[in-house]
Amino acid sequence: MTDATIVLSSALALPGVLLLLCLFPSVRARMPKFAVIAPVPALAAAWFAGRDPSIVFATHFFQGHLALDVAGALLLAAAAILWICAGLYAATEMRRSRNAGNFSAWWLTAMLGNFGVVMSADIASFYLFLAAGTIGAYGMIMHTMTPDARRASVTYIGFALAGEASILIGLVLLAAASPGHSLLIRDAVAGLSPSPWRDLTVAFLALGFGLKIGLAPLHIWMPLAYTAAPISAAAVLSGAAVKAGVIGLIRFMPFDAGSVNVGTGLAMAGIVSTFYGVAVGITRANPKTILACSSISQMGVIATLIGVGLATANAGVAIAAAFYGAHHVLVKGGLFLAAGIGVSDRRNRWLVFVPATVLAFALAGLPFTGGYLAKEAVKPFIGEGAFAIFAALSAAGTTLLMLFFVTRLGSASHDPRGTPTASGLLVPWLATAFFAIAIPWLSLSLTDAIPISEVNSIADLWSAIWPILIGGGLVALWLNQKRQPREIDVASAADIIRRMMTICTSTVERAEAILRQWQAGSISLLAVTTVLIVIIATGR
Amino acid sequence: MTSATLFGLCGAILIGLGLFELITDPHPLRKILGFNLLGGGVFLVLGVVARRGAAAGYLGDPVPQALVITGIVVAFSATALAVALVVRLSEVSGRVSLAYASSEQTDSDGAEG
Amino acid sequence: MIADAATSLDAASTHGYLLVLAIVVPVGGVLIATAVGGRTAERTAFAVIAAGLILGFAILLDVWMTSRPLAYVLGNWAAPLGITLRADGISAVMLVTTALIIAATALYACADFTIPRDGLEARAPFVFWVLLLAVWAALNTVFLSGDLFNLYVALELLTFAAVPLVALSGRAEAITAALRYLLFALAGSIFYLLGVALLYGAYGTLDIILLHQRIRPELAVSLAVAMMTAGLLAKTALFPLHFWLPPAHAGAPPAASAILSALVVKGSFFLIIRIWFDVLPGSRSLAAAQVLGVMGAAAILFGSIVAFRQARLKLLIAYSTVAQIGYLFLLFPLVVGFEGSPWSATAWTGGWIQLVSHAFAKAAMFMAAGLIAQALGHDRIDDLGGVARALPLTVLAFAISGISLMGVPPSGGLIAGAYVIRVMTRMLGPRLELPTLSVKVDRWRQSLPLSLAICAMLLGLLPLQSLELLQVGLPHFLGSAGR
Repeated sequence: MTDATIVLSSALALPGVLLLLCLFPSVRARMPKFAVIAPVPALAAAWFAGRDPSIVFATHFFQGHLALDVAGALLLAAAAILWICAGLYAATEMRRSRNAGNFSAWWLTAMLGNFGVVMSADIASFYLFLAAGTIGAYGMIMHTMTPDARRASVTYIGFALAGEASILIGLVLLAAASPGHSLLIRDAVAGLSPSPWRDLTVAFLALGFGLKIGLAPLHIWMPLAYTAAPISAAAVLSGAAVKAGVIGLIRFMPFDAGSVNVGTGLAMAGIVSTFYGVAVGITRANPKTILACSSISQMGVIATLIGVGLATANAGVAIAAAFYGAHHVLVKGGLFLAAGIGVSDRRNRWLVFVPATVLAFALAGLPFTGGYLAKEAVKPFIGEGAFAIFAALSAAGTTLLMLFFVTRLGSASHDPRGTPTASGLLVPWLATAFFAIAIPWLSLSLTDAIPISEVNSIADLWSAIWPILIGGGLVALWLNQKRQPREIDVASAADIIRRMMTICTSTVERAEAILRQWQAGSISLLAVTTVLIVIIATGR
Repeated sequence: MTSATLFGLCGAILIGLGLFELITDPHPLRKILGFNLLGGGVFLVLGVVARRGAAAGYLGDPVPQALVITGIVVAFSATALAVALVVRLSEVSGRVSLAYASSEQTDSDGAEG
Repeated sequence: MIADAATSLDAASTHGYLLVLAIVVPVGGVLIATAVGGRTAERTAFAVIAAGLILGFAILLDVWMTSRPLAYVLGNWAAPLGITLRADGISAVMLVTTALIIAATALYACADFTIPRDGLEARAPFVFWVLLLAVWAALNTVFLSGDLFNLYVALELLTFAAVPLVALSGRAEAITAALRYLLFALAGSIFYLLGVALLYGAYGTLDIILLHQRIRPELAVSLAVAMMTAGLLAKTALFPLHFWLPPAHAGAPPAASAILSALVVKGSFFLIIRIWFDVLPGSRSLAAAQVLGVMGAAAILFGSIVAFRQARLKLLIAYSTVAQIGYLFLLFPLVVGFEGSPWSATAWTGGWIQLVSHAFAKAAMFMAAGLIAQALGHDRIDDLGGVARALPLTVLAFAISGISLMGVPPSGGLIAGAYVIRVMTRMLGPRLELPTLSVKVDRWRQSLPLSLAICAMLLGLLPLQSLELLQVGLPHFLGSAGR
């Protein structure tokens, strides 16, 4: 067996084996501790793959193909680190919970799905791991069993299933057009240009993946889900799991051939999402919900980037999107951990406040943070003309939203007496914050594949700083104004959908009551016979 | 018009009558009778097939006749089973009908079996 | 290939006696069980099941290894007068599936239908064991027979064995459901018989292989095929002819429901496949196949939505069967539409994997629902809270079969997701105290649906390329991959 086989297979095998071990109750109860080491092989895989992008890092068994390119390695490394740190956090968080073992089982399923999606090289395994990730996420969201959690999980699964239906249609069309009936993603996407269903395929795939990353207006599930889930779950879901949609866009969009219609649509939805996320986020009080809205905004930026790349047939956006996404994985995950710890602990509050503020600025693109690098990576594609204004405005909006988050973090204290925070919660948080800032620099020095232009000119630094200053000013304005903003209730849209569905289904049920009668059934038999006779007789 | 055609038409009429009875009459016993008419019509058609397939020197193709005999046995067993169900149903519930009881489908009483 | 088989019509395969045994052994079991009664009925059933499993696997191995259909000519009277028994790829697969599911159901039903030690037999257990064997005998005949009228007899035997299973509980609704099922099934089989009569009148033979060679497109054939198809559709409960199925399958005892949903409806479906792909010549009517596909699609939509609205678990599963039957009929437009291209073979394989997987999953679901209903005393979905902690294995079995029905690839059943999610949410829901179980359910009984569900799931991992086995004995039009 080659190195690639061992490393890639073990990245999936370890979570898989641990998941199987969850069948035994005694092991399951202690699983939160074991689950911490589960992502380690995946981290190793990302390391080996990313080291030398010229080597093809792939393997296959039965019909499943695994492969890692630079984009995948970036996302996998960031995701693996987040899963490890959040796993440490979860081990402490779940200590008092009754269902810790069950939570770990869902955790491992989501992890398996996350890693598998990044590493899949063929269509069938991609879909399989996508479904696994959805199921794991559902279980984690539902963990606390409160009415809010149940509503959130049902909304989540409804949207996820709709997204997967759209993706499935796109995948089937993709496979149908694939040259030589190969199921490899690489071959299928390459064979897409001459296909007669090209635009339809790309549209369905973009729609499905857009749903999975929460593009407005299909974002309704995100705030509900991330607010209702336990902290560690929210961290991995918003950090790593949602990147399944990003990797899907990176892998399946035909950047070489390009598609102007779909690309433009994606970009526009992305722009709307970017600002919509900010607008909704500043009206919320719960720090977790604010972070969820920030995710909507950031995913909007990625969608805009990919949309532009698709419209201009530029394949370079893939790595830029992966780099930006990898940074977001760690920052968002870390901020969720911070939100979970809170600032009620008097002694340790600065350990939470300061890194959180740094991360908040990092997301906005403060120079010398990882976020600055991420924005630099994105700049060649959306750095000119109107898009430059968009980039600046989005940075300002992000600053506004994230500083607002920090202030909400400060005022939402869990316990006025200030109980000391367990080190089991603080250490993972600090580790994540460290990696969030360090990893982009680290990966830059390790591989040459990431196209980042000269980083040190004053003009570049200033163009990064002034939107942040504007954002800071906006925050001060927003906090000072006296009117209480009305919380836009995203759940009401879900209620409307639910009511429409109830009307449809009850109509169908009434039709069934009519068809149930004997006369209706037997007349249908005669009708079917007649129709068949006519069609077969005339068809010959 | 040969006798075969006459019997064929007769069979067709019986099938039509049987179908009509089976579909429209609400009482299960009459549906069973309708089914028997239907069966009788099909057997007549098989008889016609036997007649028309007769080779020179024979009166009728023996294979369809065998089919008719088997069919009669099957129809007889079917009728017996159906009538037994009707009798049992009337013993258990007093009224015999294929219509759904109003409490069905929303009834949530205990488990079966 | 059909052409090859025709030349070897007179030369039956060396192991052809296996086919005869596959039919005679269950029938012998029925006779012994009826004659002797008492505890012997149950013991005979298990002995027959063991023998039948061995026979099924033997036939499958033979067909697989030699890549030729297994044939036996009854009494050495060749067609057109004689009757051939023939096992091609799909027959062998169905034989094994039937054997496995019946074995699992028998183990499951042990607890419900034990005949007491003193030998005084009760009606229900005795009837159940006898009818189980009768259903099996009928199914084996359906899968193996090579003569259209023989198939009619097998079909009737299947109906007569299945109907009393529906009425087993003795309640008024169950008997009404059984009566409804019987009358509609009889209407269907009379249509089928009329079609058989027309075909004999036109071609003078009822042997499938000979008909395949002689058939020409003409009015008699159109009439016959249409009538036979319609009659079989009534027995397979395709929308809109499905109205008899939900009360029948929901009103039967859980073990019987498992058999009815998983196997009995597949018998008449198998016949439709036989007629369309083995009897009719090369080019089929695409429009007719599309009509079947449209009805199938309507069945999926309708069945899933009505399933979602049900208040009782067993009715929900029964309506889910209506929906899944619709999936089976999507095979027709796909295979006929892609005729000549390799996609046809892929569609064929996909359809059969779907069928077998659904059989396992549905049996598992009904068994799980039966265990839950037995333990809780009711099967109201809204009151299922907390059952996951009381009966974890059972709920896991239900979840896995639900997922495989929903469509983890290759099949797509995403609409089914709605009602599966609804039930799972209730089952996993919180409850202040554990629900009081009126009956303790053994662990090994819970593992039965679980193993069936896992089989259903694993079938989804089979590669999508055409399985050579399923192609054995089929007309050559189905793509170049595999003969």
